[in-house]
Amino acid sequence: MKSTNKTARQLIGERDVDCLRRLYQGGRLTRREFVSSLLNLGIGAATAGGILAISPTTEAATPKHGGRVRAATGTHGPDDTLDPAKFKSSVDYCRGEQFYNGLTRINGDLRAEGELAESWDADPTAREWTFRLRKGVEFHNGKSFEAEDVVYSIRRHFDPSVTSGAKVLVDQIDEVTAENKHTVRFSLKSPNADFPILLGLHNMKVLPAGWTDFSAAVGTGPFTVKEFKPGVRSVGQRFPNYWDGDKPYLDEIEWFAISDEVARINALLAGDVQLLGGVGAQAAPAVERATGVELVTTPSGQFIEMVMMCDRPPGEDNEFRLAMKYLMQREDVVQRLFQGRGRVGNDHPIAPSDPFYCDDIPIRSFDPERAGFHLKRAGMEGGSVEIFTAPGAGRSATELALMVRQEGRKIGLNVEVKRVPSDGYWSTTWMHKPIFMAGWNPRPTADIMLTLGYKSDAPWNESHWQNERFDELLELGRAELDTAKRREIYCEAQRLIHETGGAALPVFFDYVDGISNKVKGFQKIPLGPLAAGQWPKHIWLES
Amino acid sequence: MLPLILRRLGLGVLTLWLVSVLIFAGTEILPGDVAQTILGRTATPESLAALRDQLSLNEPAIYRYGNWLGGILSGDLGVSLSSNTSIAGIISDRFTNTLLLASLTALFGIPVGFALGMLAAVYANTRIDRFITVFSLCTISVPEFFMASAFVLIFAVYLGLVPAVAYITEFESISQLLRSLAIPILTLSFGVLAYMARMTRAAVLNVMRSPYIEMAILSGVPRGRLVVRHALPNALGPIVNVTALSLAHLISGTVVVEVMFAYPGLAKLTVDAVSLRDMPLVQACAMIFSAAYILLLMLADILAIMANPRIRHAS
Repeated sequence: MKSTNKTARQLIGERDVDCLRRLYQGGRLTRREFVSSLLNLGIGAATAGGILAISPTTEAATPKHGGRVRAATGTHGPDDTLDPAKFKSSVDYCRGEQFYNGLTRINGDLRAEGELAESWDADPTAREWTFRLRKGVEFHNGKSFEAEDVVYSIRRHFDPSVTSGAKVLVDQIDEVTAENKHTVRFSLKSPNADFPILLGLHNMKVLPAGWTDFSAAVGTGPFTVKEFKPGVRSVGQRFPNYWDGDKPYLDEIEWFAISDEVARINALLAGDVQLLGGVGAQAAPAVERATGVELVTTPSGQFIEMVMMCDRPPGEDNEFRLAMKYLMQREDVVQRLFQGRGRVGNDHPIAPSDPFYCDDIPIRSFDPERAGFHLKRAGMEGGSVEIFTAPGAGRSATELALMVRQEGRKIGLNVEVKRVPSDGYWSTTWMHKPIFMAGWNPRPTADIMLTLGYKSDAPWNESHWQNERFDELLELGRAELDTAKRREIYCEAQRLIHETGGAALPVFFDYVDGISNKVKGFQKIPLGPLAAGQWPKHIWLES
Repeated sequence: MLPLILRRLGLGVLTLWLVSVLIFAGTEILPGDVAQTILGRTATPESLAALRDQLSLNEPAIYRYGNWLGGILSGDLGVSLSSNTSIAGIISDRFTNTLLLASLTALFGIPVGFALGMLAAVYANTRIDRFITVFSLCTISVPEFFMASAFVLIFAVYLGLVPAVAYITEFESISQLLRSLAIPILTLSFGVLAYMARMTRAAVLNVMRSPYIEMAILSGVPRGRLVVRHALPNALGPIVNVTALSLAHLISGTVVVEVMFAYPGLAKLTVDAVSLRDMPLVQACAMIFSAAYILLLMLADILAIMANPRIRHAS
């Protein structure tokens, strides 16, 4: 391995590789970015893998046991819960990772990795899935983990009275059965090549069969609940019988939220918390300058957009939608609103960090002339429109709306930005007004993102965009197990949205977290702040 | 005097009832409801209807108001809709925290404010008075969030003396408790003591202009004794009122400080409950705040009645 490593270095110059490797080890590049950068430098995949062997996990491979960590994120409230079916915020998700396991977990490359499942396979139709379970796993109450627990935990979501947040997703499961004590079979109503990833979602944590009491969490996770007060904090204590080698490394975790952004940063800088989710691009420089803490940026699929509803004026005319899309100053948005911590979007919701991102579609660049041309064709020259926004609509959403107003006026469109309160925005403004701003969290797969937000009959199809071919592509993509073919399918889907979709989507922005220098072993997972809550499983403290 | 006090008590109860009507009506007209919040953005009309039925949101408002008021009167605050647990349980912890912060602040802010006000009154129009006036006007004008940020930056981030989040993890010792609450107490007391000082000074100086004080001056009573012995008793009414208002503010008006320091008190809970549309929780919190206000002001009024010789000896 060492020799391949060396030839690669000789081929492309030691400096580049070293630089990339430093960035990767320092946690500034994800594994995916690192490999693709190496590939761009002309290094083959196998060699890239060789260089990868010097990854952060192997290089600093002497985790230490012990210690207590305080960590905070941005929001919590009296509705915090320990019931996985009801998890809906990053504060819940991280508790899920502390106290429970799923059959799989989603790793930094957005692939499924076995957790309570050791291995799995699908039949060629991607409809019948068999999962073989890990043996010798114990719940916090001493019960040993078996197939019946999986069956119970999945079937719970079907029950309407549970009001599960994952109901829409589990509805594709026709039946789940225990084949024997350590094998579970899923039959799906329709094929789904991403099924193992779905089982890694936060809501899909495994409970002991028959469990209904959520005043405490009884799972198989690395920590047990020592204290849980909704909207105040939780304390997790190391579970000595955890199945994963000598993990977890920490003795105790205190997890809560500080809703004020300034207070949050201060808590990190003063050393009151060792991990902080949601630093925000504006505060990032202050954290970068400080000693003892490190800024961790994780490129992700979260985005803000301007949605034009396709079933009412003015958005019903694609010419108008195109005009607005050409008004997006994408580079400026990334640089000015997000301080460069993001990448440009191309008017569809699949981020460059997604394995199925289609880079064949040229980025639609800022072009006021073309915008004016399309505006004229829409008959909207000299017309006026209102964009609705709120502080809670999405990060920097109002600033983006103001940028559109400024450029719109230059081409003869009178844009008015209507600011409404965040409170009630999602029930009375979002999907109600003809043009509004919206922010989305990333989704683990292209399929989930596209199905959730763009399928003709999806409840969150926020622009009411209808496209038969697109709906067809979704079915095809889900049924295809061959990655190359899937890429083509999703590429066509992205192209359709790019050309006629109801959203002008200029930016995908990074997660920006702050962690203390003492924290080691942090892995980036681009699905949420602080490694989508997965840090409790991996980190340790260097004294 | 007794009928006066009784009438004041009756008025207090009446106000509390009117407030309960206002609170209920206010929460009724907020857009969206808890069913929508619980089910999230995906809610279908059927599931919404089912959940509304389950939470009896479909009953007429009058009926629900009656139920709610009946519950409160019998000491039952109901069940929080967002977490499905007893409101009394949720609130008791938070209310203890609020009371702790409020009482520590009051213990510090009210005596200091009173002393500063008296000092300013005794040395009216001297340098001391002017210094106290400028100081208190400054602290009143600076918004709480700014003061809190500045204190955190100085004492927690740069000097590292106290934690940046006022978070009582476990009760270890009084000194540790005071250390973690030091900045919130300081921030809150600045507002209170400045207000107290201004009002004490004004009330005392107002009395100082009355003829009987002039008489006392002519009789050669020294200035200090004049203020404390002769003017103060007659100025107590307004001062007690200000104290009551400050206390009420410390119970319900601390949301900025609670948010800035991630302090789990009642005000932040109310704000969260509003955004979750958890109406029973909002109503319970609002009732506690209103009751605190009404109770404290009523006490102040009764004390003023008892302190005022003209009223005391009437009838």
